[in-house]
Amino acid sequence: MSVLDFDYMVGLVPILLRYLPLTLAMAAAGMALALVLACGLAVIRVLGIPGLNGVTLLFISFFRGTPLLVQLFLFYYGLPQVLAFLTQINGITATIMGLTLHFAAYMAESIRAAIVGVDRSQTEAALSIGMTNGQLMRRIVLPQATRVAVPTLMNYFIDMIKATSLAFTLGVTELMGATQKEAAGSFLYFEAFITVAVFYWVIVELLAWCQRRLETRLNEAYRR
Amino acid sequence: MLRSLALTMLSAGAIAIAGGAQAQDDTLKVGMSGGYFPFTFVEQDTLKGFEVDVMEAVAEEMDAEVEFVTANFSGLFGMLESGRIDTIANQITITEERQAKYVFTRPYVYDGAQVVVKEGNEAIQGVEDLRGKTVAVNLGSNYEQLLRELPYADEIDIRTYESNIEQDTALGRVDAFVMDRVSASQVIQEKPLPLALAGQPFSKIRNALPFRDTEADRALRDEVDAALTALREDGTLAEISERWFGNDITRP
Repeated sequence: MSVLDFDYMVGLVPILLRYLPLTLAMAAAGMALALVLACGLAVIRVLGIPGLNGVTLLFISFFRGTPLLVQLFLFYYGLPQVLAFLTQINGITATIMGLTLHFAAYMAESIRAAIVGVDRSQTEAALSIGMTNGQLMRRIVLPQATRVAVPTLMNYFIDMIKATSLAFTLGVTELMGATQKEAAGSFLYFEAFITVAVFYWVIVELLAWCQRRLETRLNEAYRR
Repeated sequence: MLRSLALTMLSAGAIAIAGGAQAQDDTLKVGMSGGYFPFTFVEQDTLKGFEVDVMEAVAEEMDAEVEFVTANFSGLFGMLESGRIDTIANQITITEERQAKYVFTRPYVYDGAQVVVKEGNEAIQGVEDLRGKTVAVNLGSNYEQLLRELPYADEIDIRTYESNIEQDTALGRVDAFVMDRVSASQVIQEKPLPLALAGQPFSKIRNALPFRDTEADRALRDEVDAALTALREDGTLAEISERWFGNDITRP
């Protein structure tokens, strides 16, 4: 076959750029919501709240135990057959919900590990000066756990950005969906998919740069 | 960083809300893959193809608006089933299984199933040579069914693909693929892939628009059917076909 069609690749860049905000927005929204949910789940697990703990375990078990694509199909195409009002949810919302639930299950475990990893003496010291459980979590444990959790949470964010490429199966034309359709029109698969791969790669590298800066800041108190 | 994140999230929320609010009833919502040249594909960010032209003509005839929803082929019937779209314009072939579940318009494309091989592959001259070969078909398409109905089906290694069967045949990863004759000829003619037709089409297929089998959707089907008939009679269908294929594929 012929060599790479560079003109085509260059022409594809401005087109794909139009779909970049949607990809980033879905990942950012999914990440923010997943963080909130995961923190809640992690705290429930650490404190072992009766009743809720069992529900949390089941939640994590399901969303970690089944593929994201299965979950997306289940919620977008499966459930509306049973509960008609769910058709009101559009593809973008469904994708964000799917990313949130799926990644919250993973992140809850890594946040839990970070919380458990905070030295026991810190807890004892806080309780000895009369802090409540809530104060203990907010003021002593979570700030220290954050520093430990950041690298793994960034890992999940990176994974989530790439997971948005599944959204085209729900009819959301994001970066990958746009590329697939353009490739179908030109049949220049190699060019189209190399271009989109570079897109994802650059986004993730920019994010890794942000991560390094964030870690430097969080580590300031620990520098010797 | 945080501020721009917050901004993108807000815009995502806005998009989600705006998307949820659009449920006008006079809009004909048509699902298609956007990945089936020359029926539905994208060039320079514009959705084009035979299906797009036909459905726009249908909507104009019905005096309605048309909205195209693109999704991976595997998601299209789920969208139809869950009421997110009214019909699928993606060369959907009328089969018994589908007729049991959906109501169809009259066919608007008559075609045949075609075996396509890598250029220079003389070993396969038609469907009867597929014994012992690896054959690619699109997931959810009826060509898989057609192959399975052959008397020697268990000797064929059928691979189902989400997309890109042309590319994998050109790469030699599979021996052949099966697709409708019309788009197969078009692919070979217009695209830079080393492919060739192998023999004659082996099965007649009729393609139409499926609708859910409910009272409201049957009424909509009748309306669309009437529009298609009008377009056939005034020559619009033939004209659209001539434009894309150089011949009239809308008649048996």
